[in-house]
Amino acid sequence: MTGETLLSVQGLTKQFQTRNGTVKAVDGVSFDVKRGTIVGLVGESGSGKTTAGRCTLRLVEPNDGRIVFDGVDLRTLSEREMRAYRSRLQIIFQDPYSSLNPRLRVDQIIGEALDIHRPVRGSARRDRIAELLHRVGLNPDAARRYPHEFSGGQRQRIGIARALAVEPDFIVADEPVSALDVSVQAQVLNLIQDLQQDFGLTMLFIAHDLSVVEYLCDEVVVMYLGRVMERGPSREIYAMPRHPYTQALLSAAPLPDPAADRRRIVLKGDIPSPLDPPSGCVFRTRCRYAVEACAEIVPPLEDVGSNHHVACIRHGDPEVISQGLTL
Amino acid sequence: MTELPDDTVLRVSDLRTHFELGSRVAKSVDGVSFDVRRGETLAVVGESGSGKSVTSLSIMRLLSSPGRIVGGNILYRTSQGQVIDIATLPERKMRAVRGRELAMIFQEPMTSLNPLYTVGDQIVEMIRLHEPLSTADARRRARRMLELVEIPAADRRLDEYPHQMSGGMRQRVMIALALSCNPNLLIADEPTTALDVTIQAQILDLLRRLQREIGMSILFITHNLGVVAEIAHDVVVMYTGRVVEKSPVASLFAHQKHPYTRGLLACIPNASRDRGGAGERLRLNPIPGNVPPVTALPPGCSFAPRCSYRIPQCDEAPPLMAAGPSHLSRCWRHEAL
Repeated sequence: MTGETLLSVQGLTKQFQTRNGTVKAVDGVSFDVKRGTIVGLVGESGSGKTTAGRCTLRLVEPNDGRIVFDGVDLRTLSEREMRAYRSRLQIIFQDPYSSLNPRLRVDQIIGEALDIHRPVRGSARRDRIAELLHRVGLNPDAARRYPHEFSGGQRQRIGIARALAVEPDFIVADEPVSALDVSVQAQVLNLIQDLQQDFGLTMLFIAHDLSVVEYLCDEVVVMYLGRVMERGPSREIYAMPRHPYTQALLSAAPLPDPAADRRRIVLKGDIPSPLDPPSGCVFRTRCRYAVEACAEIVPPLEDVGSNHHVACIRHGDPEVISQGLTL
Repeated sequence: MTELPDDTVLRVSDLRTHFELGSRVAKSVDGVSFDVRRGETLAVVGESGSGKSVTSLSIMRLLSSPGRIVGGNILYRTSQGQVIDIATLPERKMRAVRGRELAMIFQEPMTSLNPLYTVGDQIVEMIRLHEPLSTADARRRARRMLELVEIPAADRRLDEYPHQMSGGMRQRVMIALALSCNPNLLIADEPTTALDVTIQAQILDLLRRLQREIGMSILFITHNLGVVAEIAHDVVVMYTGRVVEKSPVASLFAHQKHPYTRGLLACIPNASRDRGGAGERLRLNPIPGNVPPVTALPPGCSFAPRCSYRIPQCDEAPPLMAAGPSHLSRCWRHEAL
């Protein structure tokens, strides 16, 4: 089954009106997710990765673009029709403290999802909840307890059990391990992989931790100021990033090895205001390779082979290419 | 008691900071010792509940009730060369030390800057609190400080409020504020945790440059071993209020002599180690279980219940033992590692 495209996002755009003007949080984002794979969506604060993830599930209504899930453009569905799809599309949130209702017991939290999409009663319902808890590594007695009685890692497991309750095909995981301590993070990453393999799940994994994404994801989409800078197979992107932003981002991640010989590219300045993004390439104001043309042309995502796409007019320049090789 | 080797700025010995909650006592810091050498960076690394932040707040004497230093010394050499014990210094004298001799920066600069005053006013206030300068002179120094931390258009930025700046810019302001009275020792508590990686790289670069230029010593508190590898000369690894391993940075990353440190490094995903020949994912090796609360520590070695090297002797609490040149480990089996 792997290989077939389950989700295809095309030209996704979301604008927010603010007092000070329009913010294009997501600006023409396109990517595909093949069935049974994990695609990483990476970027720094303000890159639009979280909004893109929510638009994909229509939790935030996009202004434009197509979201083709299993052959159907989700944007053409009415609210009512969309509801039928909700059980196939789930989300896991970053903060396991604010994403669980503190007034509900764990069995109510998981049961609520079941009641809406996969209603079962009585002992079958209890068994199903116990099975889900077992599947995410929690004791069955967790069912009668409240979220505050659990640690961050355990709460994240509850959130995962809730998402799995409705047997989804596709999960958006929005920074699911960022709030956890490293030792617990590895436990949850192992769980995510097991579930992905056992249930053949397809995932969009939103993260800022580049080593987690390199390890977990089959493909990577790199965003900056609402646009995709580069996307492709993770192995290829990590071995040889072609976009100057990806190169800088990868070189900035601290490695737990003091002997590593790093050539760090330190970017100047901050991400520009999304209210007034630079013309042409949005990254040009911080790019060491920027030329005059970068201010005029919005660089299209170009295929550089093996499904690797780069949005940079200088991507073929030997200087830029060799930079990607020296990281 | 008031002796300190010449190259040492701060010596924490057997520090104990406890929180008394009714009949229960949380021994958040329980016998911690380390030295910070002049012009160097000591990183204190640990997960939530390790006591790393309480250690730094104890040194600044910023503990909130019911937290209290109940034992040990914090010897500090002032810029006049006098050695004082911060652990027992009267609060009135501490006020002259805090900010001037020892300065601190925090994880979230927004909560440590006052939102109602411009950054210029806040830096000027800090300078005038410790030094007899006119407002105009203090403002000139404030501008120089912003330039030192590479804030562009420093003159204009002085009149801005914290909310008008980005997270990276605010952390630079915090550093400028901290350094404005030329402290000997900067305590940085997770200063880059809330920042994006490209901004984190800028701030680490800045701290390294400032250390080189002004020769300040840094106590760097973090949970991120990648950041430790970048910035530290020496490393202290804490777990449940105790030091479990202490070593120069190169030696720590080359040979971990405590199973906890080894486990922490094994947990960080690393594609070249954790992916097989065909690119398939191998399982990560997490440390099982959770960090126990300091109010309910197991007897003996507090890491033993999660440790794969555990032997019966671990029921007895291990002391810090020599495990190599300048390398200490609180593990009975450090030789087997």
